[in-house]
Amino acid sequence: MHVLVGTVCSGKLFFVHNKGQVMRRRSLNMPGAIVRVCALLFLAASSAVAQPVSEPWDMAQVVKVWCSGDRDARIASFQSLLEDVVEADGPARQWAANLIVQYRDGNLSCAQDTGYIPAGDQFLDVVTGNLVEVIPDDAATPFLNIPLRRALSPFASAVQLVAAEAPENRLRAAQGLARTLGDVPPTLIERIYQQEQNNQVAAVLEGVLVPALLGSGDADAQLRAINTLAGNATRKSRATLDNFLAQEPAALSGPVRTAAESARSSVHWVIQVSEAMTVAYHGLSYGSVLFLAALGLAIIFGLMGVINLAQAEFVMLGSYATWFVQEALRALAPGLLEFYLFIAIPFAFLVPALVGAFMEWSIVRHLYTRPLLTLLATWAVSLLLINLVRVTVGTQNLSFLTPEYLKSGFTVFGEFSVTWSRLLSIFFAGITLIGTLFVLYRTRFGLRMRATTQHRQMAGCVGVSTRRTDAMAFAFGSGLAGIAGLALSTIYNVNPTMGTSLIIDSFIVVVLGGVGSVLGTALAALGIGQLNAIIEPLYGAVASKVIVLLAVILFIQQKPNGLFPRKGRR
Amino acid sequence: MRRRSFMKGVGVAGLAMSAPGIILPAWSREKVKVGCLFSSSGSMANIEGRLNYVVQMAAQELNRAGGVLGRQIEVVTTDPASDWPLYGQQGRQLLEDERVSAMFGCWTSASRKAVLPVVEENDGLLYYPLHFEGEEDSKNVVYMNSPPASSVLPALEYLMGDNGGRARRFFMLGSDYVWPRTINAQLKGYLQQKWGIEPDAWQEEYVPVGHSDFQSLVNQIKSFADESGEQPIVVLTVVGNSIPNFFQEYINQGISSLDVPVLGLDVVEADLEGLDTDQLVGHLNCWAYLQNAPGAANQRFLSAWANYVQENNVPFSPDVAIDPMVSAYTSMYMWAQAAEKAGSFDVPEVRNAFPGTSFDCPSGYKIKLTSENNYVHRGVFIGSVNRDKGFDIVWQSPETTIPEPFSPYI
Repeated sequence: MHVLVGTVCSGKLFFVHNKGQVMRRRSLNMPGAIVRVCALLFLAASSAVAQPVSEPWDMAQVVKVWCSGDRDARIASFQSLLEDVVEADGPARQWAANLIVQYRDGNLSCAQDTGYIPAGDQFLDVVTGNLVEVIPDDAATPFLNIPLRRALSPFASAVQLVAAEAPENRLRAAQGLARTLGDVPPTLIERIYQQEQNNQVAAVLEGVLVPALLGSGDADAQLRAINTLAGNATRKSRATLDNFLAQEPAALSGPVRTAAESARSSVHWVIQVSEAMTVAYHGLSYGSVLFLAALGLAIIFGLMGVINLAQAEFVMLGSYATWFVQEALRALAPGLLEFYLFIAIPFAFLVPALVGAFMEWSIVRHLYTRPLLTLLATWAVSLLLINLVRVTVGTQNLSFLTPEYLKSGFTVFGEFSVTWSRLLSIFFAGITLIGTLFVLYRTRFGLRMRATTQHRQMAGCVGVSTRRTDAMAFAFGSGLAGIAGLALSTIYNVNPTMGTSLIIDSFIVVVLGGVGSVLGTALAALGIGQLNAIIEPLYGAVASKVIVLLAVILFIQQKPNGLFPRKGRR
Repeated sequence: MRRRSFMKGVGVAGLAMSAPGIILPAWSREKVKVGCLFSSSGSMANIEGRLNYVVQMAAQELNRAGGVLGRQIEVVTTDPASDWPLYGQQGRQLLEDERVSAMFGCWTSASRKAVLPVVEENDGLLYYPLHFEGEEDSKNVVYMNSPPASSVLPALEYLMGDNGGRARRFFMLGSDYVWPRTINAQLKGYLQQKWGIEPDAWQEEYVPVGHSDFQSLVNQIKSFADESGEQPIVVLTVVGNSIPNFFQEYINQGISSLDVPVLGLDVVEADLEGLDTDQLVGHLNCWAYLQNAPGAANQRFLSAWANYVQENNVPFSPDVAIDPMVSAYTSMYMWAQAAEKAGSFDVPEVRNAFPGTSFDCPSGYKIKLTSENNYVHRGVFIGSVNRDKGFDIVWQSPETTIPEPFSPYI
């Protein structure tokens, strides 16, 4: 411990030595605070010189309250910690911010009379400041129930806001406060807001201050708040404005009321538009999922007339290939793990493509003239694949890492927000569509495939090897299903039977789009996706399935060959 | 010569073929058959599949200890493929062809309802390991788990109380079949009669079984939460693979348990396997067993399961245990005890022996059957999702509760 103090806090020790005996005794009386700060600095590998801690905390007491105190005692403790942090400077602030964030995130383990927080590979005893390799067996994370976490979360954000220096951390803290201010005093936020240099953080803090400003009774403050609300068109803002306007007429001055009313109507309008956009986006994202699942089928079904019931299992194989790539990266190159989704693309394509090629060679090609038998045979293959995966990997849902860049999403405007994982699936659908069109219309393989689709005998007569074209098309279609599996792995859960729910929807899309037409498939998928997204919020998910199926039946009755019927003779 | 050898061959073959007919009945008198009705394929496979193995594990333990009434247990498993009518059909086969003495089976209430007429017609026995909507008390079914009054209502009361965040608005989202609809009907009655809560404080939505795309519904939950200042919660009664799909979308859209907590009535440890539970901390469930239940009986069960998985190469995780597994495992012991007490495998006699049978359940409670009905008295746990893909115990009942099969709120 002394070595630690000596190396990290040499400045401090100098200070103690120079000032002589009295100071030394004082520092020995409360070594915990100093050592803690030093240890923290050591951990952060900070080169900053330790500064004296003006307000050392009685850590034993704090830990006792945080680990087993009742709700009110804990909230009082958070409150006093926040007050101390505002008064304190540099290292003490950092120390407190780290502690409360670790506590919020469930990393504080409580033991007899002390607590531990993780510090790199080791643990820091928060009372003595010692680093230990292992924590006692009876140390346990205290359970925080929902009301406690609700009370704690704003305090943790406020402490972070005071202590953090990096703008992104301050922004995250401000956003935390924007959810709810809880028991954090608005005056503190006002003070921080006045001094805030970063525009983004200041904008968020403005929103945090709204309720306080509206309640202040000062017309200028209220106008400022209304302005903020008008610029932030959410349902929450609308509700705040509604509540504000619902006050007694005498409580509001004329200009404030007019401003609030016009802000309310503009917010309302933006919300309406953004909600419509949300529905359209949901349709687009569901449509892209359908398209990805159906595209491979469209090619196989369209070209060879083979109804491949194992298609959905190729989707599953694609997901499993992605998972194996993830696990391989985790073991071999953890640095690249974040990008496993992109590294997995070739594997997710090739593995199902090879399995598909093998299946075509061993089973399907013998049955080209007997469609009913292909139906049975491919169904058998589908069962085989499901059970093969079940026996080798297991039935449980696979755990996929959600890379940092795919977590949550962003708000476009108003209530229209977009999640990255859905955006990725739309992106994959777009790329796959372009790639497939390129292969079909710009390569010799595509030319042969189109020729074979249009007229098999004639294509054979002019020298196209229809056998080889069939095999390659089957592999290509299987590989596309694999890409779908990759894109779905961040949205749905992955298990051996994941494909079974996709296969029927895929067939509907293919038939509706016109057998063998890529653009038709895309359009049909988008159409079904949109219809679903529009009906679901109105009549529920069950009704939307029924209505969509009825609509498809009616459409097929009118146009039996789908949206884009194939030209030419069969 | 040729003809003679042919005749000889036929004779040998005939003898060999008839031999099992002669040998088997004598041998099978030694064994007593029981049946399993759990799906190994379809939407329910990931969770129901485990129950097949745990029943076999219990049978193996009993067999090693000498069997039941001196006879070894043989478990006949089926695969009803998550297809509700198929449960009835395969249940009939078990009862009429296999002549099983007892069946352990069904997860969803829809499947139990399919088996119910079959067991009643054949006077069979079905041990049902799930907590469910109640409103049923057949003499041919042993309800191993709790009706809503001793599972769902305590959990809801917790969420509405000071320690749960005073929930006052309810988004009820379920799969579209009998269990979610009955549960929600009871909840609505309960909220109205006991708390005086008005119907505009809830919204009820149903999805088809196996539904996987929840983006629009999660969006509806968001706007439901924004409608009023009072604390909203989601009462989730979707089943099977819809559960992880729902939570995945919940994470993706960035809603935490601080905003809108989810009370997942069918959510078990196994549903969390593929999810990033850091984002799910604080969502709740309620069962008669949680993997973190204290006590030596639970430790014994957990290590027995881990060993069984390793020895038999079971395709499920050795370190995940869920309530229906424990309930199914316990069923076998409850049945064996009743049969021993009755001195017979005949259903009417076994049934008469039920009252007074009890078992030290891995949940830590001494569970028992009384003469009042066929519901087993169980304890109640409320769990909260933690970072380790499990549930912390938030609350547990001091004693087993007295089951009330029929709800006064419907």
